[in-house]
Amino acid sequence: MKFDDKIPIYLQIQNYLDRQIISGELAPGDRLPSVRQLAVDVTANVNTVQRALSEMIDEKIIVPQRGRGNFVTVDVDLIAQLRLKLVDEQFALVYDQLRALNFSDSEIIDKFVEYVKDRGALNE
Amino acid sequence: MSDILKVENLNYSHRLKKILQDVNLTLESGKIVGLLGENGAGKTTLMRLITGVAHATGDITVAGASRIDERKSHVSYMDHLGAFSLGTHLDRIVKFYQTVYEDFDVDRFNELADFLNIDLSLKLSALSKGNKQKFVIALTLSRQVELYLLDEPFDGIDSMSRKDIINSIIKWKPENATIVISDHYVSEISSLLDEIVVIKDETINCNLDADKIREDKGMDIEDFYESLYERGHDND
Repeated sequence: MKFDDKIPIYLQIQNYLDRQIISGELAPGDRLPSVRQLAVDVTANVNTVQRALSEMIDEKIIVPQRGRGNFVTVDVDLIAQLRLKLVDEQFALVYDQLRALNFSDSEIIDKFVEYVKDRGALNE
Repeated sequence: MSDILKVENLNYSHRLKKILQDVNLTLESGKIVGLLGENGAGKTTLMRLITGVAHATGDITVAGASRIDERKSHVSYMDHLGAFSLGTHLDRIVKFYQTVYEDFDVDRFNELADFLNIDLSLKLSALSKGNKQKFVIALTLSRQVELYLLDEPFDGIDSMSRKDIINSIIKWKPENATIVISDHYVSEISSLLDEIVVIKDETINCNLDADKIREDKGMDIEDFYESLYERGHDND
């Protein structure tokens, strides 16, 4: 995995796992690879991976089972919330950038509706 | 986590020139630590002092042992194999390690050698720089100790060898052992590090958590490291 070295590595690992859960690559109830295996997969150290997992355990997205490893939550509402959080994050980036260029709210909305229509037409 | 290394009031001079002054450093078990500094800053010297192959004033304790002869059984220092003639076959060197170090784990060595694709029937002279570094890393990590000191393991090697070495470090580092890696290009290993220790002006300039640097300063590790030198110039 390519990291942006300006952003804490544990956050980037957390983000990577969040996306896998949202996209369904890691399904509700799935067991995660071992910490060491995840560390090898993303090329980070075990402590950093453990920290990312601890954050996700605090958020209850991941549920540890003693002696068995870490599992993706089966609480689909929590995963739905995570999904919405990710949309908010993406919109926040775009919104801030466009506001910085003096686009008004209504311009942003109109343009966005138009954009989705065009892209949607292309995808059909 | 317990302390694996404690260096207190270390002073070292060579031919009347001060190399290290008032060095104090404590490292916990289970970490990967980047030891950074310019060429000649004293990184290798500090590693040699910790290992006990060079002597200085001050106290060094590794896993509770402070006497040099006791310390040596707790530290695995990356040797560049300068003592072996170029005609030596690699399997002879492995045998030598087995004889000299009681804690040398042959099974672990074979796993590492297999993972790193090392052909043990070759002579030392037949190895490319990258393959020699891989061999040295496999030897170093195959001892079962609490502290591993890797002296510029990525110096002058291609990116594929570097990736293999990094992966072998992640895979084979014993959970409670600490690995110190010295390097002057931090960006190639920064995602791997728990913390960095910078040697500058003959002493420890700082010892900081890597993700904390990113979180608090919004800087990458290399920029942070370079900023220590810019600040130095302003004072001149």
